[in-house]
Amino acid sequence: MLKPFRMMNPTTVSEAVKELEREGAAAKIYAGGAELVLLLRHGLVQASALVNIKRIQDLGRISREGKNVRIGATVTHRQLETDPLIRAELPLLAYAESHVGNIRVRGQGTLGGNLCFADPHADPGTALSVYETTVKIAGKNGERELPVHEFLLGMYETALRPEEVLTGVEVAPLPDGWRWSYQRVERFYRPTVNVAAVGQVRQGKFEEVRLAVGCGGPKAERLWELEKKVAGLAVEEARRLVVDSKRYLVDQLDPVDDLLGSADYKSYITGVLLGRALEQLADGRGGSNG
Amino acid sequence: MAEELEELKTLQTTKIALRINDKPWSGEVPVEEVLLDFLRYRVGLTGTKRSCESEVCGACTVLVDGKPTSSCSYLAFEAAGKSVTTVEGLAQGEALDPLQEAFIRNVGAQCGYCTPGQLMTARALLLVNPSPTYEEIQDWMKGNICRCGCYPAIATSILEAAKIYRERK
Repeated sequence: MLKPFRMMNPTTVSEAVKELEREGAAAKIYAGGAELVLLLRHGLVQASALVNIKRIQDLGRISREGKNVRIGATVTHRQLETDPLIRAELPLLAYAESHVGNIRVRGQGTLGGNLCFADPHADPGTALSVYETTVKIAGKNGERELPVHEFLLGMYETALRPEEVLTGVEVAPLPDGWRWSYQRVERFYRPTVNVAAVGQVRQGKFEEVRLAVGCGGPKAERLWELEKKVAGLAVEEARRLVVDSKRYLVDQLDPVDDLLGSADYKSYITGVLLGRALEQLADGRGGSNG
Repeated sequence: MAEELEELKTLQTTKIALRINDKPWSGEVPVEEVLLDFLRYRVGLTGTKRSCESEVCGACTVLVDGKPTSSCSYLAFEAAGKSVTTVEGLAQGEALDPLQEAFIRNVGAQCGYCTPGQLMTARALLLVNPSPTYEEIQDWMKGNICRCGCYPAIATSILEAAKIYRERK
């Protein structure tokens, strides 16, 4: 049984913000419930009121925004996995989403809920980190935007303030000709480590790459410095560089021991997955974008 | 009605109308009531099983508008206006569903506790993919745990039932 609460059902974002302001810290946003209902049941979150944002129609949409794709906060993982626009324009995201939880979790859980819960063992944050992703937030003083890496702050920690609503994300598709690879190791139901890699390869050399690692530490991390060093290298050199970068990876990821593996294991697997991802980019076995 | 439902004083109820196994139902439910408790205690359909209560094991799976759903973590009021199918809704009168027959034929269960959830997740698969491959079955069913380890027999049952559904059309 869940402890009783009241349920607010706003139909606009500004109403939702007003409800949050009125209810204060005792109110939580309800988007899909896939995480929230569990937390309420186990007493990890206390809420005397839930603000249901699923009736705000705009938040349930996937749409083009110029060249970019806008994804509303209450779009489910299953929608992202199967939507033709997402599959065509953001194929790495669609692929990563197809691995979230199980078919029931994907049908109920939402992108906004997943990002706001900020569980370190998740797929969407890692996938969105290699795209140019802007997180859209509404609050009492209007809207603000943050790049995804400034939104995800740590373990179960985001830049969202109590009276704010994450309304969606805007994602830029990869440039033409870029390839992608998404690697993950899963034990139990959540990923132990995942790696997203995108980039352009010319004449056997990486021209430009973006690399992100998730689940190793408290949050998904872009490997900005490693990306710069990989640019210009052939695949074998890049793989060697990754092996030699163990120190850098540990510093960047800040891995911790948990039920899914020891910190040592996670940093080792991160290196393996990065190597595989770079290999896939180089030989085109991962997906490509045009 | 079970005593469990009356332990905590609810703060808010809402009136909902939905279809359960093709029959209409309407009434008041507390907003915090999950679909599993609603079905088992309020409606009296105990075929849907409680197990992990964490969306991991799949024992409580029902269909909401044809989609497989963890009834343990889905608030009942969300089903308003929708159609819910439980394991009790699979058979047509005395005639078992092809999935149920195939599970029996292949011994797709030992203790049987996970079976209602297995059947419903499998039903949902065949609604969207009438001709799944063995690999597609494995991928779709991976969120339904069988402690007795009947996975191969379950997959075989689904392949057989899929064939029977197709032949009936």
